[in-house]
Amino acid sequence: MNEPYLRKVTLKSNLFIKVLRPLLGALIVIFVLFRLYQVLFVQQEYGPETWTRLLIAGLIIGGVYALIAIGYTLVYGILFMINFAHGEVMMLGAYSCFFVFEALKTIRVSSGENFSNAFPVLAILIAFIVGMGVSAASGYFLEKIAYRPLRKAPRLVPLIGAIGASIFLQNAAQLLFSPQLRDVTNPEVMRRGSGWSVLINGSNVIIPYTGVFTFVLSFLLLAGLYIVVQKTSLGRAMRAVALDKKTAALMGIDVDKTISRTFLISGALAGAAGVMWGIHNGLVYYFVGFIPGIKAFTAAVLGGIGNLPGAMLGGLFLGVIESLGPAALGIDFQLKDVIAFVLLIIILIFRPSGLLGEVLAEEKV
Amino acid sequence: MKTPITRSARTGIIFGIIHVFLVLIGFNTLVGTLLARLSGAQLINALPAPGFMITYSLLLALWAGFTAARKGEANSLPVSLAHGAVAGVASGALAFCFSLVISWFLVNRVDFRQYLAVLSFDFIRITLFNLAPLSGSLATAAVFATGGALGGLVNGVFGLKEVKAALGKVSAAFTGLRHRLNSNLRGKYRPVFLAAGVILLAAVVILLPLKWGSYWNYVTGTVGLYVVLGLGLNIIVGLSGQLVLGYIAFFAIGAYTMALLNSPVPHNLMWGFWPALLLGVPLAALAGVLLGLPLMRLRGDYLAIVTLGFGEIIRILLKSDILTDLTGGPRGIQNISGPTLFGRTFNSDIQFMYLIAAAVLLAAFVYNRLQYSRAGRAWLSIREDETVARATGVNTTRYKLLALALGAAFAGLAGAIFASRNQFTGPEEHSLMASINVLSLIIVGGMGNIPGTILGAFALKGLPEILREFANYRLLTFGALLVVMMLSRPNGMIPSKRPKYRIPKETADDTPREARHDG
Amino acid sequence: MKALKYIIMIVLFSLVITACQPANAATDQAADAAAPAACAADAFGCAVFKTGEVIKIGMGAPMTGGDASYGIDISSGGFIAVDDFGDLNGFKFELVAEDDGGTAEGGAAVANKFASDPAVVAVAGHIYSGATSAAMPIYEKVGIPMLSPSASLPELTTLGSTVFNRIVFTDARQGPPAAEYLFNKLNVKKLAVLHDGSDYGKGLAEAVAAHFVELGGEVVVTEAITKGETDYTPVLSAVAAKSPDGLYFGGYTAEGAIIVNQMKQTGLEKVLFFGDDGTYGADFLSRTGPNGEGAFATIAPIPPDSAEKAAFDAAYLEKFGKEAGSLSPYTWNGYDATAALIQAVKSVAVIGDNGNLYVPRGALVKAVRTLTDYKGVGGTYSCDASGECNTLPPMFVVVKDGAWVPAP
Repeated sequence: MNEPYLRKVTLKSNLFIKVLRPLLGALIVIFVLFRLYQVLFVQQEYGPETWTRLLIAGLIIGGVYALIAIGYTLVYGILFMINFAHGEVMMLGAYSCFFVFEALKTIRVSSGENFSNAFPVLAILIAFIVGMGVSAASGYFLEKIAYRPLRKAPRLVPLIGAIGASIFLQNAAQLLFSPQLRDVTNPEVMRRGSGWSVLINGSNVIIPYTGVFTFVLSFLLLAGLYIVVQKTSLGRAMRAVALDKKTAALMGIDVDKTISRTFLISGALAGAAGVMWGIHNGLVYYFVGFIPGIKAFTAAVLGGIGNLPGAMLGGLFLGVIESLGPAALGIDFQLKDVIAFVLLIIILIFRPSGLLGEVLAEEKV
Repeated sequence: MKTPITRSARTGIIFGIIHVFLVLIGFNTLVGTLLARLSGAQLINALPAPGFMITYSLLLALWAGFTAARKGEANSLPVSLAHGAVAGVASGALAFCFSLVISWFLVNRVDFRQYLAVLSFDFIRITLFNLAPLSGSLATAAVFATGGALGGLVNGVFGLKEVKAALGKVSAAFTGLRHRLNSNLRGKYRPVFLAAGVILLAAVVILLPLKWGSYWNYVTGTVGLYVVLGLGLNIIVGLSGQLVLGYIAFFAIGAYTMALLNSPVPHNLMWGFWPALLLGVPLAALAGVLLGLPLMRLRGDYLAIVTLGFGEIIRILLKSDILTDLTGGPRGIQNISGPTLFGRTFNSDIQFMYLIAAAVLLAAFVYNRLQYSRAGRAWLSIREDETVARATGVNTTRYKLLALALGAAFAGLAGAIFASRNQFTGPEEHSLMASINVLSLIIVGGMGNIPGTILGAFALKGLPEILREFANYRLLTFGALLVVMMLSRPNGMIPSKRPKYRIPKETADDTPREARHDG
Repeated sequence: MKALKYIIMIVLFSLVITACQPANAATDQAADAAAPAACAADAFGCAVFKTGEVIKIGMGAPMTGGDASYGIDISSGGFIAVDDFGDLNGFKFELVAEDDGGTAEGGAAVANKFASDPAVVAVAGHIYSGATSAAMPIYEKVGIPMLSPSASLPELTTLGSTVFNRIVFTDARQGPPAAEYLFNKLNVKKLAVLHDGSDYGKGLAEAVAAHFVELGGEVVVTEAITKGETDYTPVLSAVAAKSPDGLYFGGYTAEGAIIVNQMKQTGLEKVLFFGDDGTYGADFLSRTGPNGEGAFATIAPIPPDSAEKAAFDAAYLEKFGKEAGSLSPYTWNGYDATAALIQAVKSVAVIGDNGNLYVPRGALVKAVRTLTDYKGVGGTYSCDASGECNTLPPMFVVVKDGAWVPAP
């Protein structure tokens, strides 16, 4: 036998872990602290009102990321596949939101107002029901048509299938609805840009209604999902399938049905995220799911993929970092994604399975 | 209630839904237009004549009927016909309702294009075969029913004993021919055939670029560069099993090295092609090592997302304001000069084609040697189980870094040639979608082998060019084909054979020392 | 013996493609005795059209992917130009819009496709600068003139190309006047400059910032946003902290409208918004609503309500079911570029004694480069020696009561 095969490898691979990694960590911490000191105490560019605004924006976008990330994580936890088309499922939800409000706008009620202004709560509820329904259905059929036959295939194959599905859905939406950018017309009380006004440091900081709505609803949905997964029989089945499909089947769990339902739930959550996107950001077009999809995937990995609280934490964390990071470090806003990704790399260097990931996650993949 | 007939009705309804979807994206007129163009007929107002639309509907219904009959496992002609007819009627009923709905827009002059982009009045009219709403809808239903029945009939005819026997004979004859050919190839004539093949290939590689015009030279050149990229990524993903999603970053490093050293703006260094190439390739490899070093502990999707992030970081930095003076920012770099060899400057598509062919051959050679080397075996063991590989004494860190460095070097090579050929490179050339394309091509083709990579590159970069006839439906078709390819061949078009260990006879009782690969 | 199988497959495939190549006989007029003298004298020869054949104008544009709206919209404008002018003594024009994805790779592929199609005489494109850069050298070799509706990269006209021309309103034309207008007329002393990170927006923003500083103003902050996002409140909040008087944005309506809307919630309520020709158009009005009041833009000097433009807008609405300009700000440029090319082809084309139509390619290249006082719906174009065709100083417009009106 040849030498390299037998040689002990501990020294070389541990050189990095023992020496370089702490060094790198120290360097990064020193750099960040230095920049923070410069920005906060030397330059003092931003007053408290700016920090508040940044934080609000970060939390809102983080809430949406979290909701989409949950969808990734749910599917990943069970099938170990990256559902690349998840962002497109969200896009369908956003389109549903647009169409619902367009339709409700044309309905006149007796007071002469249109339906969505007269009954805003009902209108938003309809938008959510339709959006979540459409997205859940598309998630369900996506699994049934494109992923189920590939369950036994090598691990990367469903990923490519998902990429194909993502390209297909994007182009289908473009061809169906034209590539035009659409603006969702909210009910008047939820007009974008209106909100509670707080006076900080002599400047009006607006906490938008749509933003608070988005944030609160994200967390309600996440809490609901957590209860479903932890307390119901469906949740138990999902966890069992995630742990071991064969054993779960032997215990009488219908694996196919459980996976289908997982896709239903993850699709519905993406749909909810899409509707919120429509209500808060307003802009809907066929490519709208792509960037949030990638970001949410990042968030899911950041939190430890397959871990529900991890995805929530990762989403919020990513949103806040994207929003606060450039200002806090005094770097161009153009580079916010660089900051987010560098942070991701650093976190994964020190915690290879994400913020809340199980230590042994690497054994699964 | 799951009798075979209701199942056929369900198939019909599914096809009806497909029909509705295709009409709403305007795919029916596209097919009609293509049919019209094939037969040389004139378009009326940019739309095909009703006859072609009827042909399209008939073809779709035929497919529905055929599928239904085949799924229903009809074993006789009448049963098959019945299945097809049921499917046809079911899809026809759906198509009928849908036609009524869209004709409502026509009758009431409602312009719905604000929401569904294709629904112009002309389009609705031609979808109804230029007939009145009710008769048009009825005609649609009739066409679907007829088509379905025909589909069933076709399936039934194929199911007939006589036809089956005839088909069997034909296929047996083919198999016999193939076996004879194979045995000849394997036998004593093997060297002769191989030599003939190599000469033929050489002739093709030398002669074709001269013959087939700049367009196909360009397309094949792109495919060639993606073969190099695919082989490089195959070392990382296919052999050593590390999922890298930001592979295009290394390509960008090669391209930008070439561009910055070899263009008048922004630095006017003009080193020439070869020095830039010789610098770009090691730089890309170095980037691979530097990226890999801190990430050795990451596996699977964690590695994927980190490398995805790396690719995005490179792209955003290239276009960012802070590096504009260095890299040209979002404008990219124009006027990159081509290579000079023996005093001649490469500028035509033909010369570049030869250069790319040389690069592909080099990459394939290196890949082939690597695959069966000790490094190749080490990678394989890492791919199968990293912990076990480490336990058996494979220096996993070293071999994983080696894979990253080599893969990155391949990408650097492709990137440098790519930039020089296009005379331009910019940050948006190196977006995430490009990485995904490369990953898709190695998986579609079949991971870990050279022919698969070549075929995959054709599928991923050649297919969209061939699909140009589909105009705006190009990517839609492409996405659908990607899914279909994965569903029908989950292991890729040419699956890799696992190397078999042949135990030499004289040492059969001992542990095999030397392993031979048969692949 | 798998290798041999693949070799055979590759050989067969290549032979098929070679066989499918269209014969390049159409341009080979050596044997054509009826060819007029102009063809023999022409450096690139003539494109020959027999009766019933169509004259093709190419367009390389992103028709799929994230930027598809630009390609689809600009080619839509071009199709209307073909409807309006596409007939030359019975020879029909056709606009062939090929998808180049907006990338250099796609641009070069499309350019090669056009270059090997003898019926393509001119190209209205490409749309994106990257694709244009890669396509230019290919057209240069075969003598196909280009007239780009939207490739605004300044360097493109400095590379010494004889075939490349553009009617887009470039950075250099509108940047400095915009800075002057901001400083002198609008009395802005502290300017915030934002751009969208594209070559167009960035070039514009830099031109404005540089000139504004020259004039004695202060650029308090320069930031770039990420294209394609929908929430720019963080960057706007940071801009607000520098308390500027005015905000200049280099970019397109997609992002510009969001910025205008979100300025109202980030402490920039009283700050003036100044855009460019990319943020001008009806779409900006409909997407900003009351928030857009008082926003400025620079446009090519053409009355925004000419009769031709109204006719075009009506034709667009009729044919595509939406308002012109709702997909991109370059609809009118697509129309003008195609129409100008058709006019140039008509000016050089000769009908031979045998009834064939001859288009001398070299003369066409020259005709496009020497386009003078062409009146389009989006501007008046006269190409200079480098290929810049939209060289007049800009006009300033402002949103007042929900409509664009000339600024005082």
